[in-house]
Amino acid sequence: MRGFRHTVTLAGGLVGSGLMSGCTGQQSALIPRGEDAAVQSTLFFVMLVGAVVLWLMLNGLFFYLTRVRPGAVPQRLANGMIIIGGLVVPAVLIGALLAWGLSILPDQQRSGDGLTIRVTGEQWWWRVEYWPEGAEAPIVSANEIRMPVGERVEFALGAKRVIHSFWIPALGGKMDMFPGRDTRVSLKATEPGVYRGQCAEFCGASHAWMAFAAEAMPPADFAAWLDHEASAAVAPSTPDAVAGAEIFAREGCGACHTVRGTDHIGQVGPDLTHVGARHTLGAGRLGATLEDFAAWISHTDELKPEVEMPAYGHLPEEEHRLLAAYLKGLQ
Amino acid sequence: MKTPQEPRAQEERREFREEAESLFRITFAPVIWAAHFLLCYCTLAVVCAKGGDPDFWRTALVGLTLVALLAITWTGWRAWRQWDAHNTGDYANARGEDEDRHQFLGQAALLLAIISAIGVIYTALPLVLVEGCR
Repeated sequence: MRGFRHTVTLAGGLVGSGLMSGCTGQQSALIPRGEDAAVQSTLFFVMLVGAVVLWLMLNGLFFYLTRVRPGAVPQRLANGMIIIGGLVVPAVLIGALLAWGLSILPDQQRSGDGLTIRVTGEQWWWRVEYWPEGAEAPIVSANEIRMPVGERVEFALGAKRVIHSFWIPALGGKMDMFPGRDTRVSLKATEPGVYRGQCAEFCGASHAWMAFAAEAMPPADFAAWLDHEASAAVAPSTPDAVAGAEIFAREGCGACHTVRGTDHIGQVGPDLTHVGARHTLGAGRLGATLEDFAAWISHTDELKPEVEMPAYGHLPEEEHRLLAAYLKGLQ
Repeated sequence: MKTPQEPRAQEERREFREEAESLFRITFAPVIWAAHFLLCYCTLAVVCAKGGDPDFWRTALVGLTLVALLAITWTGWRAWRQWDAHNTGDYANARGEDEDRHQFLGQAALLLAIISAIGVIYTALPLVLVEGCR
């Protein structure tokens, strides 16, 4: 018996800590790092407290009437409990919570402070364009969002073939992305950090693997980063990387991928101009080490079922290493 | 030979004929609630999608809300009179006679009027608290 109890306690502890660990880290709406997420988390905790208090009151009353003082209750008292407890109190409480919730509801489409980021959902990655105020052409990137802390940034959202949903839980609410229709959401990060975004609308086989890193940076750092992101690729000069560049050209990678400043101008897949500087690979699927690059190139379809990019597992391992050196060198 | 009960039974049938014909009166309040709900949502959806002055329509719909609440109050007042528990002291209407059925329908209509009024108020809260076409 004691052993059983011990096991239950242990299992409970494990499940509990597993659940709690879901509340920490980069992708939690309960640990807000943005203005809009803060409102949502306040709303959640107030509703939670309200629900717990109501639960305790209801079950306390139930316990009192069935265990502490069982027996018939006078008709008038019973009527009063039904009218007050069953009608008046819930109507007033729910009404008050509704009015309060509506009054603090953030305007998801509030206009931003200048920067617009256009994000297009593809299967299964994110096409990203930065449009600073007054820009005539975008700065193209992919699978990563960077934004300045303390500035409200507008996101113009669309989708290529199926519906996706754009969601950075630590920064704010989600917004669906539709083919052929623009939706908008604006977010304001309040603390620098790297957060995780996730597609929140089922979009096919690799929906769960469609994520991205969202980095909120101090404004000066962001401006410097954006300047660099706008520039063409600097060809990496190590012997491995030079050999990798030749393989990249030989295998026709440029038919799908753009590396600005080279002959590779494909538009089908993600822009790779500065892929080596990103936090993740394959839209949040892997980290961004040399090993990750090699794994991605050789096992693409195992890592991301039904992905359009073919796996290059048939190339010798040495060539994976050289390709990885080239791509990681695209800083 | 007629029993003494019979004229009374006939009289009851005559007096409460309305329930024999139709029960639709108890649906008045929920129908007002449903119509108000649809009008609010459809009007603002069209105004926000096709262009128009949302503030004008918000004010108009707040006016409509007051009309709906007045109509529900009137329905509820009639139902309260019909229930007549105040005078008869009979809240449960447990006997199965025509008069009991008549009064029970009043009680049901009153409760429906109360829930409909709450529904209309909740539907109207976003009109007052949320600005524009968010």
